[in-house]
Amino acid sequence: MDIAIGTQLDRIIIIAYFTLVMGFGAYFGKYSKTTSDYFFGGRRFSWWLIAISIVATGVGSHSFVKYSTKAYQYGFSSTMTYMNDWFFMPLFMFGWLPIIYYTKIKSIPEYFERRFNRKARYIATLMTLLYMIGYIAIQFLTLATALYKIYGIPLMLTVVLIAIATTIYMHFGGQTSVIFTDLFQGFILIFAGLLLFYLGIQYLGDNTAFTGMKAFWMNLSPNEKLPLAHFNHPPDFNFVGIFWQDGIAGSVGFLFLNQGLIMRFMAAKSVNEGRKAAAFNVLIILPISAIVVSNAGWIGRAITNAVPNALPVDMAANDIFVAVTNIVSSPGVFGFIIAALCAALMSTADTLVNASSAIIINDIYRPLAKKLKNEKEQLKLARWTSIGVKVLAVSLVPFFNSFDSIYEAHGWFHSTFTPPLVVGVFLGIFWKRFTTSAVIATFLGGAFLMLLGQSFPELIRPFSHGIEFRPGRGYSYIGALYNIFVCAGVGIIVTFFTKPKTEKQLSGLTIFDVHNLKNIFKGSSVNEEKGESINVTWKIKEIDSDLVCFSINDMKRMKANPGDLVFVEDSRWWLGGLKSAHCIYGEPHNEDGLVYITNKHLSHGQFIEGLKLKAEKEM
Amino acid sequence: MDFAQTWLPFIYLYGIGGIAFVFGLNLILRTKALRLSYSRHKKWIWIFLYGFFFYAGIHALFIFIAIGSQ
Repeated sequence: MDIAIGTQLDRIIIIAYFTLVMGFGAYFGKYSKTTSDYFFGGRRFSWWLIAISIVATGVGSHSFVKYSTKAYQYGFSSTMTYMNDWFFMPLFMFGWLPIIYYTKIKSIPEYFERRFNRKARYIATLMTLLYMIGYIAIQFLTLATALYKIYGIPLMLTVVLIAIATTIYMHFGGQTSVIFTDLFQGFILIFAGLLLFYLGIQYLGDNTAFTGMKAFWMNLSPNEKLPLAHFNHPPDFNFVGIFWQDGIAGSVGFLFLNQGLIMRFMAAKSVNEGRKAAAFNVLIILPISAIVVSNAGWIGRAITNAVPNALPVDMAANDIFVAVTNIVSSPGVFGFIIAALCAALMSTADTLVNASSAIIINDIYRPLAKKLKNEKEQLKLARWTSIGVKVLAVSLVPFFNSFDSIYEAHGWFHSTFTPPLVVGVFLGIFWKRFTTSAVIATFLGGAFLMLLGQSFPELIRPFSHGIEFRPGRGYSYIGALYNIFVCAGVGIIVTFFTKPKTEKQLSGLTIFDVHNLKNIFKGSSVNEEKGESINVTWKIKEIDSDLVCFSINDMKRMKANPGDLVFVEDSRWWLGGLKSAHCIYGEPHNEDGLVYITNKHLSHGQFIEGLKLKAEKEM
Repeated sequence: MDFAQTWLPFIYLYGIGGIAFVFGLNLILRTKALRLSYSRHKKWIWIFLYGFFFYAGIHALFIFIAIGSQ
């Protein structure tokens, strides 16, 4: 089928959108002074800012195409993968999140070195980088596939142009730019997706016997209203396979191994803010996102059921998103919705590029460099590294373009790179006995057995739950269960024959020490007394390092003592912690309502003369 | 609509997923990563349970509706 390519107005809107986002992102470059700011945003943001910005990270450009296709073919069960992430939230929020936050681990591979050894770190680095750079390539390919039809520019040139556009704002801004552009694009994504749903329902109302939601609901069959797919049929979309691939391997991979997501949570001003962001995201944002990415397919199905000739009979299911958008929206609106697709791509790609760059600096450059460059030089290196990551991703696009579909390329990724890392990190956090030799065996032996399973599908048959075997394609999703089983099996067996690390060597690195992590982080005992947060004016006073000085009475209100940790931020809540700094209480004075800060805090927090600061004790 | 289309996936999802969920909850309580004696921690137990039954409720509701609309 020839997909409508939009009007001149649509093309202008898409370009205007790209320009707006690039300018928006580049503006926030001034908040990146160090590599910590560049990668982690200075650990200062409020939960709501983190939660909304995660929307745009989680919803990739491939999501619209992929989920609309499944929604068109199978109805509401397309939402399965968005509605199965809650099971691991207790372990994430009270296990993994405090570990990475309080131990100040900068990357997933760094955790592998601290928990196991340097060899484990290097293998994890290689696997994580391959996974992320490939993922970026898929994002570029997805959007280029849509845009080159609209602009008529060759596919690879479109890929290069998209890579350049994302480079412009990321190069200068780093994580702060990523968070703020993702915040903006998160709103755009949700709005555009819901707008499309509204327009689709209106279209159905105008063209069928019913009106409003009834026009949508009554034109779907009972099967299409089921929220979960058939247990084990058909082979390309069944419940049990997708449960193991996405609900187990995917969820653990996303929560525990996605460096981009981890860095986003590390940008939160506290662990508690990170928990709130995670809970809000899974309970509120994910169900909305499921509707946002799937509704074009549902509308398309309802249109096909009610108005048989409205959509071309020979239309490929993959084209449903663009086809439905085109028939239900007017010129200009079509451009806006495609711009939202761009939003999804840029947000996912920028997060992954920033994360890959962090891994290259933290896990390759810093451990291997004989003489570390100064902070400014490292920041420069980080910026150039992000360009290098994009060049590599662009070069991988032709490889992924050779897969039958983006869905297949994406699935191949998950099943190949995630299971060994998932098993390694999961057993590392939650099983003290898990040994260094066992994690290496999990990576190498597990990978070997996984490859064996791909070559000899009969090995996977006992795990197949009755899913039909497709010659040439094997067992698609359920392969994840086999992969997890063999990786975990190797890890567990080797553990029992090797010597574990001592309690002291594991301090702070497993869930069994989480209750003590705050003390380790602070370096002294934690002050858990609950105090007030206060608003104060500020003055500069050049005193030692990180110390800020409040009055005796203000300290009493905050229930703080000298040496405790304090978070000061611009008192305007809607900045979400953008202008803020983490400091230490110094000796108090007698001027109530006033805090003395240093030039270093001023430079980091970019506070504005005459505006009050809000201060609260951290611990 | 047969059982394999309706309630079997639901039972499998909340059976296996439920085991993972209860294991996680038990582990964070046992290791004192989540302490019920802290007032700011106590609310999280309720949020975790709410989340589990929220999703189970949505899935069950839509299965009932789909069966009912045959």
